[in-house]
Amino acid sequence: MDRRTYLRSLAAGAGVGATVGTAGCLGVLGDSGAEGTVLGPPELDLSEASHPSYGDEMPEFTAPDPITGEEVSVADFEGERAVLWTSFYTNCPDGVCPALILRLRRAQAVAADPTGRNPEYPFVPPQIRDTIGPEAYSDEVAFLPTTFDPERDDAEALREYAGRQGVDLDAGNWHFLRPESYERARELHDEQFGLAIEKQPAEDIENLEYRFPHYGLIILANKRGVVERAYPRGPQTDIERLVDDVQRVVTA
Amino acid sequence: MASGNAPAVLGGGDASDAVDPVTLATVDAPGSRDGEVTLPAPDRPTFVDFFATWCKPCIEQMPDLAAAHERIGDEVLFVSVTPEDVGGAVSEEAVADWWREHDGDWLVAADVTAELAARLNVGGYPSARSIDATGRVRWATSGTHTTEEFVSGIERALDR
Repeated sequence: MDRRTYLRSLAAGAGVGATVGTAGCLGVLGDSGAEGTVLGPPELDLSEASHPSYGDEMPEFTAPDPITGEEVSVADFEGERAVLWTSFYTNCPDGVCPALILRLRRAQAVAADPTGRNPEYPFVPPQIRDTIGPEAYSDEVAFLPTTFDPERDDAEALREYAGRQGVDLDAGNWHFLRPESYERARELHDEQFGLAIEKQPAEDIENLEYRFPHYGLIILANKRGVVERAYPRGPQTDIERLVDDVQRVVTA
Repeated sequence: MASGNAPAVLGGGDASDAVDPVTLATVDAPGSRDGEVTLPAPDRPTFVDFFATWCKPCIEQMPDLAAAHERIGDEVLFVSVTPEDVGGAVSEEAVADWWREHDGDWLVAADVTAELAARLNVGGYPSARSIDATGRVRWATSGTHTTEEFVSGIERALDR
């Protein structure tokens, strides 16, 4: 389903069985947000940044998930799932990548059990939430951490990394994406995400030949393929706020 | 650390807000016991060290943490927390072995769904938080530290 068809179907469905919560979200959509967004504008305008930001189309690219053996296309999620994207590599010698993955992983845990784990759920008063939900929304979100170090991050390395970072690979919503080559990874990050990736020597770090000074960017796109939030300081992003943003976007 | 040209985004969350407590399972290891712990403690200051068994700098700082525990551990609930999937991808024995190997001798807990890490907004490992008796974070840091730094960080959460 393309974006226009989806918007039409949304409009058609809005009158049928729409809950109070949904009506509230659509109100936000019409009032102050960019076209096709659920959330209002971010506190800080990032539209001049080189990376995609609020209201932009989510970059559409295809890359292999070496663990499932699938080719994953971002476009395939349109109409189906919101997307939480970041870029990382498993040999990250500082804490940046684990901090990014922690944020995605926490959103994954809350998606699987929203009432149990997210007391700050923004729309429903506690007494109603306890009675009616929200239901798990694991099937309405996709986590797409993309490695820019495909030479070292093969299926085995990524699977091991998932284990130690507490990622649930069985949930069916987590895809480590591994571009076919380092060149392809560079191209993808540069052309689609405005991020320059460059190998640098890492003689100072034991057992590491090269490293990447890199950005800690996380991007949240809605089911229409529109960017809702860019978190350029991903490793420092407030986790509960990010999880709330994801939940509002997914359940809108 | 990460570098970026993009403007900074506010971290969100008011540092003066009290942290809602989370109950975590504890790990049977030296100085620790099989059971539960509520963090932050409802009635006294708490010191939380976030570590992981795959984290090399976490090994480097264990002697300083141990020395800080020796000096000031009686005045706070002193606990190390791993965000790993303990009991799942990582066994409890593996955590206990790591703990024994690096001479840990205090409470260890498992934050398997990263709930405490989320509430305390952990940005990498190791990280540490000192929380006062009313549940407010008084010291938040990441990276390794000396014994002196740990002690003075913990003292910030003590009312005296």
